[in-house]
Amino acid sequence: MKKCRLLLLCLLLFPTGAHAQAPLRWGADPSGGAPYVFSDPAHPDKYIGYELEMVEALAAAMNRRPEFIPTDWETIVTSLQRGEFDVVVNGLEPTEDRARVILFSKPYYIFQLQLTVRRNETRIQRLEDCRTRVVGTLGNTAASRLMEKEGIPFKGYADPVGAYRDLELGRVDAVLMDVPMEAFYARPNPKLKPAGEPFMRGAYVIGLRKGDAALKAEVDAGIDKIVRDGTLERILRKWNLWNDAQLDLRPKPAADGAPGESPPEEVKYEVTSASFNWAEALWRLTRAASVTVLLSLGAMVIAVTLGLGLAIGQSRGPSVVRFICTVYVEFFRGTPVLVQLLFLYFGLPLVGLAMPGWLTALVGLGLNYAAYESQVYRAALDAVPKGQYEAAYALGMSPVLAFRRIVLPQALRIALPPMTNDFVSLFKDTSVAFAISVWELATAYRELANASGEFMLLGAIVSAFYLLMSLPLAHLARRLELRLQRRQALRAVEAEVAG
Amino acid sequence: MIRIEGLGKVAGETRILRGVSLEVEPRTVLGIIGPSGSGKTTLLRCMNGFERISEGALEAGGVRLEAGLGEKEYQRRVKLLRRQVGMVFQHFYLFPHLSVLGNISEAPVHVLRRPRVEVEAEARGLLETVGLAKSAGRYPESLSGGEQQRVAIVRALAMRPEVLLFDEPTSALDPRRSNELAGTLRGLVGHGQTMVIVTHSMKFLEDVADRVLYMESGEAVELGDTAQILNDPQDPRTRDFVRHAD
Repeated sequence: MKKCRLLLLCLLLFPTGAHAQAPLRWGADPSGGAPYVFSDPAHPDKYIGYELEMVEALAAAMNRRPEFIPTDWETIVTSLQRGEFDVVVNGLEPTEDRARVILFSKPYYIFQLQLTVRRNETRIQRLEDCRTRVVGTLGNTAASRLMEKEGIPFKGYADPVGAYRDLELGRVDAVLMDVPMEAFYARPNPKLKPAGEPFMRGAYVIGLRKGDAALKAEVDAGIDKIVRDGTLERILRKWNLWNDAQLDLRPKPAADGAPGESPPEEVKYEVTSASFNWAEALWRLTRAASVTVLLSLGAMVIAVTLGLGLAIGQSRGPSVVRFICTVYVEFFRGTPVLVQLLFLYFGLPLVGLAMPGWLTALVGLGLNYAAYESQVYRAALDAVPKGQYEAAYALGMSPVLAFRRIVLPQALRIALPPMTNDFVSLFKDTSVAFAISVWELATAYRELANASGEFMLLGAIVSAFYLLMSLPLAHLARRLELRLQRRQALRAVEAEVAG
Repeated sequence: MIRIEGLGKVAGETRILRGVSLEVEPRTVLGIIGPSGSGKTTLLRCMNGFERISEGALEAGGVRLEAGLGEKEYQRRVKLLRRQVGMVFQHFYLFPHLSVLGNISEAPVHVLRRPRVEVEAEARGLLETVGLAKSAGRYPESLSGGEQQRVAIVRALAMRPEVLLFDEPTSALDPRRSNELAGTLRGLVGHGQTMVIVTHSMKFLEDVADRVLYMESGEAVELGDTAQILNDPQDPRTRDFVRHAD
């Protein structure tokens, strides 16, 4: 305590001295990051959170100035390695695969997991009851690894808000999260309730780059200090996160009376970890690729059908229809597809229309591409000469028959090359579905690469997956196009030869 | 059989046709001549409903169009009229995505709902009469202009129209092809076809037309037997045109 006061005095007397040291640059994901670190709802320009307060205390103990670098949870380890910040303080759990690439500090928090269900849920009491249901959780966390190990179907989210919202909407049947998140996001929600008691135990540690051993020693000493002097307990109590489990972090009073010298890292915490399994990763990528294929096919069916309707409405319909079609086209072409997907996924449930993520992505991409397709068809329809209509009418065809049998086939032939391009680009655009937690190929890449650190190899594999699917498609379309062009010439030659 | 009574056509402020009356006997060919802008193509387009008539009446193939009919009834009759009146366009307008056989059988199969096998057999027979028996599987773009025209004629004939209309059929043909076409058309008349031909070629009319109508400024100036109109026109306007023609 005396030492502490001395330090405080130093800080007060020599404020610049504290800043002479390099700042402690720390990274965390503030989006949906409560209660760790998040935008203060009252002052959105400011970050708050128990970890933010803890880092401030820690930095003070280390005689450094904290500097917060907002980053993304999924890529946080990579960003650390790339030197965007010096330490990760974001409820990071020590796992085997992470241990291979980064260093860990001493634990600073003992967390448990809590299962949450809807208020009216009666079937689910424990995680065991979820074997035939889907459980939401954050991707690449202790909870997700536990369920992977136990073989419980789960869906990874990028932030807790989305997971609990989907639980409310019935898109998942339960959510498993670390207690701090559960305490902040789920407990105040009257539509949700905890299922059973908190279980399992894991530790949050600070992540550092391999080779930063000196910084690790400094950080460990800092943690010891704020644990010992009660600063951390005060912060945790303030955030309602204190429980008796945290006592494990206290240095055990040694029998010989030398306090504070037995390091707490000897404590064995029950931490689930899964080392990277390539066979399983490939299998998951294959499944993700099939999701991508189905998404693109489904979206294209919608885009072609709706696009054709829009094109006909826009070029042939009465003025009201024409106006509506034009507004539709301009809206969907003029706003980003990502925004449209987020709107469909989070906005529509507010008016009682909650679609699962994959369906939202399929419909959203279909609606978006319909706008583009309609312009392709409209141009193609306009490209069919007027004489073709007259010739058809002169033969007694009705406008509908003339359109269907004479104009449309010619227009589609004109539209085929641009349609091919659109389909290939739609195929790649399915990757935006990651934003609404659809487990397609790009999401799979992000998640697996972040879990394993194998960005290069997995990147190559995923690219190969995309190419394997898009190249034959482009090839097929090119052949179709050529065949349509050649068919006439070929038949002519055949006819000559036969004759 | 075509009967036209006091037919007039007004488009906006412009009067295109006025007081045209004429009759075309079955199994005969009427040729229509006149300077550009005289209304001859408009008259032809009235005969298959592409232009709505503003005054008078028009009867062809047993279907009667009257200027005073309500729009719905008029369109209903136009639909019937087009089954009786076929048209061969100046630029043919063959369907590029269909083979020769497809071009010919499309309307009989989908409009008249006749069995495809029967229609195609008939189409092959018609192609043979115009010397295109071997071209049934070819596509329009691989055909010469003359061949395309013959396909267009067969396409119109396949609907078994009572009357066949031709707009400038010789405009793209050299003299030899023009003679061949005249032969083909005379052959059709021999089989009972009634025809109306708008053309600039006096020589061609001499070969195919039974009677000739001279038009000027939207009026039917003189109608008579081909030889009479071409050699001994009565109206000074006709005389002036014929003298300067060809």
